[in-house]
Amino acid sequence: MIKIKKNGSKITAFIFLFVMALFWILPVLYTVFSSFKTTTEINISGYKLLPTQWVVSNYINVLTNFNNAPIIRWFLNSLLISTVQTILVIIISSSAAYAYSRLKFKGRDFVFWILMSTMMFPSVVNLIPLYKILSILNWIDTPLAVIVPGAVGVFNIFLIKQFMASIPMEFDESARIDGANNFQIYVKIILPLIRPVLTIVALFTFTGSWNDFLWPSIVFNNIESLPLTPALQLFQGMYLVDYGRLTTSAVIAIIPTLVLYLFTQKYFLEGLNLSSGVKG
Amino acid sequence: MDKKSYTPYMFIAPHLILFIIFFGIPAVFGIVISFTKWNILGTPEWVGLKNYAEILSDSSSTFYTQFHIGIKNTLLFTLFSVPFCIIVPLLLACALNTKTKGQKIFQSIFYLPTLFSISSVILAWGFLFNKNFGPINRMLGNSINWGGIQPYTWIAIVIITVWWYIGGNMVIYQAALAGVPIDMYEAASLDGAGAITKFFKITLPSIKNQIAYTLVITTIAQLNIYGQPLMFSKGGPANSTSVLLMYIKQTAFGSGESIAGIASAMAVMLGLCIIFVASLQFYFLREKA
Amino acid sequence: MNKKLKSIVCVAVTAISLVAMVGCGSKSSSETAATSAKSSDNEIVLWTPLAGPDGDTMTAMIDDYNKTNPKYKVKHVPIQENDLYSKLPSVVSSGKEVPDLTIVHAERIPLFVKNDMLVPYDDAIAKDGNNIKEENYLKEGWRVGQVNDKRYGIPLDVHTYITYYNPDLLAKYGPHVLDDNVITMDEVKEVGEAAKKDGIAAIGVDWMRVMTLAWIGQLGGDITSDGTKPTVDTPQAEKALKTMKDFVDQKIATQDGDDPQQLFKTNKLVFWPEGIWMRNGFKDSDVNWKMTNFITFDKSKLLNWSSSHNFVMFKNPARDEAKQQGVIDFLKWMGNNSIKWATEAGQNPASMAVQNSPEFAKEPQAFLAKNPDALHVFNYQYYGYVAEALDKIVLDTVFGKMEIKDGLTQAQKEVEDRIANGK
Repeated sequence: MIKIKKNGSKITAFIFLFVMALFWILPVLYTVFSSFKTTTEINISGYKLLPTQWVVSNYINVLTNFNNAPIIRWFLNSLLISTVQTILVIIISSSAAYAYSRLKFKGRDFVFWILMSTMMFPSVVNLIPLYKILSILNWIDTPLAVIVPGAVGVFNIFLIKQFMASIPMEFDESARIDGANNFQIYVKIILPLIRPVLTIVALFTFTGSWNDFLWPSIVFNNIESLPLTPALQLFQGMYLVDYGRLTTSAVIAIIPTLVLYLFTQKYFLEGLNLSSGVKG
Repeated sequence: MDKKSYTPYMFIAPHLILFIIFFGIPAVFGIVISFTKWNILGTPEWVGLKNYAEILSDSSSTFYTQFHIGIKNTLLFTLFSVPFCIIVPLLLACALNTKTKGQKIFQSIFYLPTLFSISSVILAWGFLFNKNFGPINRMLGNSINWGGIQPYTWIAIVIITVWWYIGGNMVIYQAALAGVPIDMYEAASLDGAGAITKFFKITLPSIKNQIAYTLVITTIAQLNIYGQPLMFSKGGPANSTSVLLMYIKQTAFGSGESIAGIASAMAVMLGLCIIFVASLQFYFLREKA
Repeated sequence: MNKKLKSIVCVAVTAISLVAMVGCGSKSSSETAATSAKSSDNEIVLWTPLAGPDGDTMTAMIDDYNKTNPKYKVKHVPIQENDLYSKLPSVVSSGKEVPDLTIVHAERIPLFVKNDMLVPYDDAIAKDGNNIKEENYLKEGWRVGQVNDKRYGIPLDVHTYITYYNPDLLAKYGPHVLDDNVITMDEVKEVGEAAKKDGIAAIGVDWMRVMTLAWIGQLGGDITSDGTKPTVDTPQAEKALKTMKDFVDQKIATQDGDDPQQLFKTNKLVFWPEGIWMRNGFKDSDVNWKMTNFITFDKSKLLNWSSSHNFVMFKNPARDEAKQQGVIDFLKWMGNNSIKWATEAGQNPASMAVQNSPEFAKEPQAFLAKNPDALHVFNYQYYGYVAEALDKIVLDTVFGKMEIKDGLTQAQKEVEDRIANGK
């Protein structure tokens, strides 16, 4: 009986997912197929899904325009910035989350709430003073100008804290009785249990950093220093809109983060299985 | 003993120090700017609460109108979009949790949109919603002007937002669902509970923390909406999709001189709004006992 | 267990050393950047809002200049237009990494001058041999570079909004319209009445803001009364919007949600108002097209909305007199060698040397040389506010979503309030 019920729910789930996935993938298919059309075709022959004539000229244009568009350099810039920022975020956010959620100290909740509240103000006008600070530090036009300000977010701490909340305090207490100090508890007990959420934080941080274009455009003054996503924005000419190039750069821009996602997906699903063992 | 009382501070210190330098100080500055008249180039001139008075109570001022239209549209949009941004990924995560066939592919398809930048998203959906040639109108056999007539514009913007946004929430819910012990479900089945009962009485309460998190973060994210109405409908038709952040950005960084004081005052008001809404949510979702 | 601790420590050490590496590496690169900002690096940094295909043409021209082995080579840094203008105030006030030369739109110059951000050219161009004079440039391009009797801008081009038309469709629905080489709004109406039974529109609703401004000018109006006070809510503005609204209602103009470019390229539109810069978009299209002046209300008065890319120098403590001369040398060269700007980017270079050249005469936009007085740049100091205020209402009023009077009142108020809240 239970088996039939289980299969029934699996089938319903499958149908639901299938229908939703069809809808969900449509815009992506559109973008990908458009990158193989000439701009003329995109403009004129309507918005058919498949190209009437497949071309790779857009890709060649975008990828080999070395003088004006050093795409490999941009890619490496993004890789450096996103990787360093992700590592930085994981370290400082998870250690802070550990303290805010599992350690008692004076002003703990007060400080956390101040941090959260400050983050809720739109950062539009903070940009000018932040630029001045970076200018004083001589960080303008360097990767640090993007890495460090982007790593101070509080929402990651919040997320990790929420996941840590479901770990029973008994674990910590019994470890303390065995003589472990806070650092050992953090490293040996807590961290392994929150692997899935750390993977999520790493994925979100890397992707967020990769896709950020507003702030990098402001702090970088040289084309070679730009990360990939803001650099590809340069293809959007002031007056003329080249749809072929735009859709192509959209596709190219997501390939690295897609690869990262597929890579972490395996790790993430493993982590899910690990943590389902915790409660059981 | 002394070591123990300092350790917590060592854990929060790295983040806190960076936070103060690169966020705290600029944020305080940002708030101070709201009490001045400043065009970024000269020296700021202190005007006290004048900016706030103008946007909050001087109904003859353009900034008053812009603030009120902006905050109304921002709140409306949040109201429309947040429920979908929570419910849709929750259902998807539950479906994925049944470990049905093709799980990996489905998960990737739903997560993929979050990897696109906002301009690519609007580019793609601009094609789909095109009045004369887009496939959506073709399918519906209609000639709807999605970008130019309400309620279609709101519908389009909400669809685009949900499509773009829910991947992250879905992944969080998946991780949360995986932590719910299977025996709880089996015990409930033995007691004769159906799927719906199990969902509401076991699943939801078990992942309450993560729902609280996503609800707050999603609300904050949508209250900060900017790109979609700017690029898809340009704030139209008739200012109906002009959200507050658009007015703030134009006032601070528009084509003429910057009016940073008023922009900042509007931003502070938006911030207070966000804090208020988030606090309400926390209050209702707090852990009881 | 110890393995885990070791791996954590490894990650931490790696991370810290990476950050240190990035920090040290970037410090040394920022040091070289700082020194390169000083004249020891013989390079002129040129910031422009020319991204996309236009930027490629500019880069090509700069490469040509650098091949002449000048004392100071030029480095082109294209920046997205919005980012460029957002950045400039912070960069200039910080005094660090200020560009040596910048291309800006002429309408922005008055406010830059008012805020004391620019260095005038007068002394430099007065020197012998610096052949930068009024008679070498298009009148309108030269005019907009002058504020308060000082010269702050040297023009690159005067790019203008005109009318593309389909000669085949015009022969069918308005064969005599261009006998006098002028398209009037009345003639548009006639063509529209004739064409609409075939489902073809006469005039496209495109960049309504500049179209409205051109019409306001043609009808004898302006956006300012004295250079300070704005005049947005005017009878001329009302007439311009009303005429277009009527066209929309009578299906003489394209409808809400239509894309005029698409319609023109598929032979469904007779007159397509757009900028000369769009002509490269016709490369692979097979529609038959020609260019002429912007449609006018008044046969005797041609007025094409224009803007102008100008070279300006922001205050930069690192730019000394020698480098400034390097800038002048580059501008002199540009004055004689900007033909590519016309042939490849479809632009209208301001240099008279180019205007009078035989190569330019072959370009479709060369007809502009016959009526240089038709080019008008609205360089009112608060043009930015007017543009943004109009943007909010022109389409909505023409498509019937907002009353014209309400729209103009809103726009007028918005500009006044923003001026009042500035300085």
